[in-house]
Amino acid sequence: MTASILNDTLRRQIEDLHTRYIRTIDDDRLEEWPALFTETCLYKITTRENYDQGLPLAVMECRSRGMLVDRVTGLRRINVYEPQRYSHQVSGLTVEQIDERTASCRSNYLVVRTTGDGSMILFSAGIYLDRIVLQDGCTLFAERVVVADSRRIETLLAIPL
Amino acid sequence: MNPATEPLLAWPAEGVTRAPYRVMSDLEIYRLEQERIFRGPVWHYLCLEAEIPEPGAFRTTMIGETPVIVARNKDGAVHAFVNRCAHKGAMLCLEARGKRQAFTCVYHAWTYDLTGALRSVAFQKGVNGKGGMPPDFQLADHGLEPVRSVAFEGLIFGTFSEAAPPFEEYLGPAMVAQIRRVFHKPVEVLGYFHQVMHNNWKLYMENSRDPYHATILHAFYTTFKLNRLTMEGGITLEHGGWHSMNFSKGATMRQGEYEGTGIRSVVEGIGLADPSLLESRQEFADGITVAIQSIFPTCVHQQIYNTLALRQVVPQGPFQAELHWTVFGYKDDDAGLRNMRLKQANLIGPAGFVSMEDGSVGEYVQRGIAGTGTDSNAVIEMGGREIASTTASRATEATIRGFWTGYRTLMGF
Repeated sequence: MTASILNDTLRRQIEDLHTRYIRTIDDDRLEEWPALFTETCLYKITTRENYDQGLPLAVMECRSRGMLVDRVTGLRRINVYEPQRYSHQVSGLTVEQIDERTASCRSNYLVVRTTGDGSMILFSAGIYLDRIVLQDGCTLFAERVVVADSRRIETLLAIPL
Repeated sequence: MNPATEPLLAWPAEGVTRAPYRVMSDLEIYRLEQERIFRGPVWHYLCLEAEIPEPGAFRTTMIGETPVIVARNKDGAVHAFVNRCAHKGAMLCLEARGKRQAFTCVYHAWTYDLTGALRSVAFQKGVNGKGGMPPDFQLADHGLEPVRSVAFEGLIFGTFSEAAPPFEEYLGPAMVAQIRRVFHKPVEVLGYFHQVMHNNWKLYMENSRDPYHATILHAFYTTFKLNRLTMEGGITLEHGGWHSMNFSKGATMRQGEYEGTGIRSVVEGIGLADPSLLESRQEFADGITVAIQSIFPTCVHQQIYNTLALRQVVPQGPFQAELHWTVFGYKDDDAGLRNMRLKQANLIGPAGFVSMEDGSVGEYVQRGIAGTGTDSNAVIEMGGREIASTTASRATEATIRGFWTGYRTLMGF
């Protein structure tokens, strides 16, 4: 009984983390995005092509929360790219509880990208493979691996998926 | 006007200090490029030998718009041929890579061996003695269209033309030396990026050759002192400038020139929360930390600190091109160096701190030049009007003038 209550609570917290993730990106509150990860997190965007062949190269790979912060700094102050925003659709969440404080999750995502002149494209579709931990009463991403179905990226990938 | 004698385009009288915008959008010019450049007397990068290590291994690639298969035969020899069945023209192989004994067309089961020779035709003798191919049909006459290929220091290049000079002669000694500098021991592919750019393929060929833009557009380079024009460096040209390399030595930077100029490329008061991204190891005794080599027409070979990659540009109509990146390390990398390469890969590719802008800047040009008249041209006078190697300054566009020299020669413009 206790275990299933914990399960339900954890699941709700995980769903909440997913929603907050989408909101920070889609509402362009990127400065809040690193706080959804642990200090020693892994955030990685790869493609099905590299992932299935076991090739380690990632389109973007942050191995600490600091590297997530640096991505945001790059986007806000250094890199040049056309104004754009994302709309995330996330579905099909499955949660496998590893222990009291850790869960392994998977979900599907789809991102529509809209650029300054109004062009909208189906920018990326794929899966999220997550390891989520409970830390000080909050759920955080210890690991989020984004596996994009397409090997192709249209123009550039600036904002994280 | 007689199309047989009149060129499609009259190049501006100023020569290669101008490039007409029309070459970036004209469909007839684009078609002629396929014939004169992509089927012309030049060598095209196909893939790495490391991608087809054993007999039966193959990799599909492109020469311009033409799909190509590169395969390793049972005897270990590399063969390249057009990925198009000799029967009805169906694409023979839809996979990016794999291993096969033979290539069989799904449409009518014509089967080719790993050299591209036709080995069998389904129902060649008909059924019950009726139908089938005519008695004088010869398998030997219907092989896959061959591509002349050469394996050089682990890279495979191909050409459709018998007139292409021997490969090393085509490259010239300085370009050969740069390939040998990097490919001095066995390499291992770490992965791929593929990036669709909504611009003419030549805009990227200008971009990769352009040391002038690198430290202005790519503010990450300049801000974190990875590449500046105040470092020792230079440009090296070969084959009259058709091929070139621009390079810099990170440890030699002098302060100044950028600060207080109003150029937005040095962002002040900024640091990295995790500076481990910029940890690098000096792998080459010459101290060169960034070397971008462009081999005419569409191959780019890069070293940016410890990231090593081949880039291949494939035209997809006048207004689109796909950039294929093959990122590699050495087979004998220790864990620390391998880790460093993968972390530094954040600098390159479609999401690269340094290179993401190159995916979009060609589009800005393509959109900017829409609607221009036949007499509108880009101005390419940085560094004067000559086309020559120099270590005096990288504030130059001599490398771009070199590209247009090759282009004009082949196109007859």
